[in-house]
Amino acid sequence: MDVVFLEPQSLEDAIAMAQSAGPSAKFIAGGTDLIIQARKSGTWPKTIINLQRLPGLGEIVEAAPNWHLGALVTHRQIESDARFLGSLLALRESACVIGGHQVRNVATIGGNICNASPAADMLPVLLCLNAKVTLAGVAGARVVPLCEFIEGPRKTVRAIGEVVTQVQFAAPAARSGSAFLKGGRRRAMEISIVAMAAVVSAGADGTMTDVRLAVGAAGPKAIRLPEVEKFLEGKVPSKSVLQEAGALAVSAVSPIDDVRASASFRRHLTAVYTRRAIETSWNRIVELGNDRSAA
Amino acid sequence: MTEVPLDLNVNGRRYRLSVPAHATLLDVLRDELEQTGTKTNCLEAECGVCTVVLDGKSVASCTVLAAQCNGRSVTTIEGLAEGQNLHPLQEAFVEMGAVQCGYCIPGMIMTAKAFLDENPRPTRDAVREAIAGTLCRCTGYSKIVDAIMVASQRLSQQGERP
Repeated sequence: MDVVFLEPQSLEDAIAMAQSAGPSAKFIAGGTDLIIQARKSGTWPKTIINLQRLPGLGEIVEAAPNWHLGALVTHRQIESDARFLGSLLALRESACVIGGHQVRNVATIGGNICNASPAADMLPVLLCLNAKVTLAGVAGARVVPLCEFIEGPRKTVRAIGEVVTQVQFAAPAARSGSAFLKGGRRRAMEISIVAMAAVVSAGADGTMTDVRLAVGAAGPKAIRLPEVEKFLEGKVPSKSVLQEAGALAVSAVSPIDDVRASASFRRHLTAVYTRRAIETSWNRIVELGNDRSAA
Repeated sequence: MTEVPLDLNVNGRRYRLSVPAHATLLDVLRDELEQTGTKTNCLEAECGVCTVVLDGKSVASCTVLAAQCNGRSVTTIEGLAEGQNLHPLQEAFVEMGAVQCGYCIPGMIMTAKAFLDENPRPTRDAVREAIAGTLCRCTGYSKIVDAIMVASQRLSQQGERP
């Protein structure tokens, strides 16, 4: 095993190093995916390029209504950022269920999306926020919607020599609520059986206007569920409406059987979590309204 | 073998080493520095037994490249006691009977150390959440949580003294 370790001090250097090292090189940030994968497969990248010394990629910046999360922002930073409230609460809920403190202290948002695990917990939430990914390469920067960035299991559109520098999204409308739900056998240290995220906005007429719903671990990649969203828009989340939404969601997913759960259990959870994610998001809008009227 | 220079502060002592590029922090602590208090177990950041404190944060030393730690500071279980005086966390673990086979305890104590440094007076639930990534297969956790609660009280009382 002969691994070359490079430590660029600037983004330009990182891009140039990756360009010249070619496909056998890998970027490392927190390392919690890369090191485990290398050790398990017995194949280490020929070159490891450390991104952790790059300046300016470790911050969460609000430029209302937009949010910019540097690629080196850790899960711990996201879960402990009290600014993520209301329609952004789901982001914290998804960041705080990944691994233990030890992993969340180092694992980054950039690494999480580049690793493109079908069960990556933050992805459904980021999809609901219509997140975009900025990639910097030798020809300059490009911005790609997250839903296009991830092509399939462990596959993204990132080219050799491109560095993900940030994830950005716009905060949803004021009267919105969000929720993230994760299914596993226990609460800690689980890889999701099904993960569900929702962002729901309420209109002046008391119905759901903007509905966003995304599911992870129920197919080759995390996806939005546009049929369910369309069905729910303009309605109030009554019991029967939620039942129907759950059934619609099940017909949109393509889960597999694996060691963690059967495909049929994943379908069952998809229905249950669709109902709960919408209902919870909705109730959180109402709570917000109550708080305001009380104040 | 390609080696990289590593300037590492471990428990207040500075080491200048040359290590393989793919060596983990755990490899270096145990094999190069012979500080074997930090235990090896799952090697996939699932069990937390190899936890050390890196620049004030708990990390699984099995999934951190040593090369990424250049110029940084590590505290391991060996760095907690002052001479013969155990750290309040270590004392509390002994008193509360929180140690059975003992294998997870260095990692458990270092997980608790980083957590209490940031959250001096946590609730019991917060402690349970904080140690969720550190597995003990003996005790069922009750006494471990008891010990961390006791240590948190003593540490914050110490902090309040003039």
